[in-house]
Amino acid sequence: MTVALDSNEAPAWRTRARQMLAPEFVTPAILLAPSVLLLLVVIAYPMVQGFFFSFTDGSLMKGGDVVGFENYTKLLTSPAFWHSLRFSAIFAACNIAGCYLLGLGLALLLQMDMPGRGVFRVLLLLPWIVPSLVSIVSWRWMVNDEKALFNQVITLFGGDPIYFLSNSNWAVTIVILIKIWRSFPFMMLSLLAALQSIDRSLYEAAAIDGATKWQSFWNVTLPQIKNISIVLCLLMTIWSVNDFDTPWLLAQGGPANATENLVVLAYRYTFARNDVGMGAATSFVTLFVLMALVFFLLRLQRRS
Amino acid sequence: MTNDTLLKRWGLTGAMTVIVLLVNLPIILLMLNSLQTTEQILASRSIIPASFTLANYEGLTNTPFFTYLRNSLIVSLGATAFSVTAAVLAGYALSRFRNGLLDAYSTALFAVQMFPIILALIPLFLLFRPLGFINSPVSVIIVYAVVNLPFVTWMARSYFDTIPRELEEAALIDGCGHIEAFIRIVLPLSGPGLAAVSIFAFLFSYNEFFVANVFLRTTEAMTLPVGIQMFMQQFSTDWGSLMAAATLTMMPTLILFLFVQKFITHGAIAGGVKG
Repeated sequence: MTVALDSNEAPAWRTRARQMLAPEFVTPAILLAPSVLLLLVVIAYPMVQGFFFSFTDGSLMKGGDVVGFENYTKLLTSPAFWHSLRFSAIFAACNIAGCYLLGLGLALLLQMDMPGRGVFRVLLLLPWIVPSLVSIVSWRWMVNDEKALFNQVITLFGGDPIYFLSNSNWAVTIVILIKIWRSFPFMMLSLLAALQSIDRSLYEAAAIDGATKWQSFWNVTLPQIKNISIVLCLLMTIWSVNDFDTPWLLAQGGPANATENLVVLAYRYTFARNDVGMGAATSFVTLFVLMALVFFLLRLQRRS
Repeated sequence: MTNDTLLKRWGLTGAMTVIVLLVNLPIILLMLNSLQTTEQILASRSIIPASFTLANYEGLTNTPFFTYLRNSLIVSLGATAFSVTAAVLAGYALSRFRNGLLDAYSTALFAVQMFPIILALIPLFLLFRPLGFINSPVSVIIVYAVVNLPFVTWMARSYFDTIPRELEEAALIDGCGHIEAFIRIVLPLSGPGLAAVSIFAFLFSYNEFFVANVFLRTTEAMTLPVGIQMFMQQFSTDWGSLMAAATLTMMPTLILFLFVQKFITHGAIAGGVKG
């Protein structure tokens, strides 16, 4: 104590407090205030409250009693949960693979010199920008019944019409196709920007060393876009797991719950079965699954 | 230029045209079908319709379509005002200052991107109900403002990064405060950037379905995506009006998008990568 008083330096807390009041700190704090307030109301408060709800048995009409881990045990032992977890995983994996291949392929094409390139770039973004409802209406028409486009093509080649929306496997396939269609433009656009930022001299050096086009793609392009690719896959994972619109609007998670992912399951528990506790527990498990995936992908990125 | 490369370039254009048409086929079919009656759509065997009619569009006047449209506009404009105000202030702070608070806020924004919104909806539903916000634009406006926040803030920030600091420094020397300098010097220069950011926030909110589906449950309150989904269930056989409604819903999106498409790369990349 006496030592501290003897020295000329102010105690650490006072220095900190002074820093807090300095204009370099106060001005950004004021500028951030509205956003932080919004985040507190819409994210932080519901998060804490939802965590509490996941341990109760309330409904949308009245609050419930604390039931401990009952919701979680019920959820983790229900086949519906494991089914939707599996579907979420397949959905995300197919979406990432499909979007990456399609996005990278089209980005490479768009990089080439051709008349009308700018127009093509804009037109390829349309599936991403139209409202989810509109894209589902347009796709549903194409797979609706035996007279719809897909079946007309199939019968043209002599096949039998397929009832896409009443067959589980086909419904899963269609939901995945629609999701890829809706989200590849973002991948394409981001990869295009990454490709354009690669230093041209790297390709010249590769050409001097006698690399073929394929070799310079494999040894120059891919390593250069590796980091942004991992970030993009991270975003795609998050967006696919959290997607409600595509499975719900196509067939309300059907047929026979085939396209029910974790979010649709949580929605059903809460708003169809009026079980707030189970809905909140499902949402939290979804968050944990996501956090585990994100953690894994970030480790992967750091290692590279 | 040799004939060979010329041929190759135009060959690529041809191939791209086919790809673009294939990719956009669902949207093209939707628009073509909206110009046919349901009977014609169901009987049709070719992609190009034999005759066109506006009957479906006229029929929409007998449906709540225009109520939905009005609600959509109220909700989207409200959410845009909210989120752009918050995001522009925060984007300016992120662009000009650097400290622990801002780093924490950046991380929070990234977390919002990955946050499963369903998690917030249940508690918010219970919070909003006694306040009378369910079936009112207020509830969705508040939630959209936050859903928009990361992207819109990153866009605003990358725009402010392009405005030279020297302009404010001069004002600071003349005795202006930071916030005053921002309002009097930087904001008036940010017109085009703010327009792009606003259109983005508007598009997000106008297209959104999930949140609106939870909070807006009466015909009087529904926005277009939710309302049309009801169409889909009620008139499941009436493809003509469904497609006309979907086409009309999509139009403002397409038109606004053309104005801002060149800003997309900026916001998307800056946001996704800077985190």
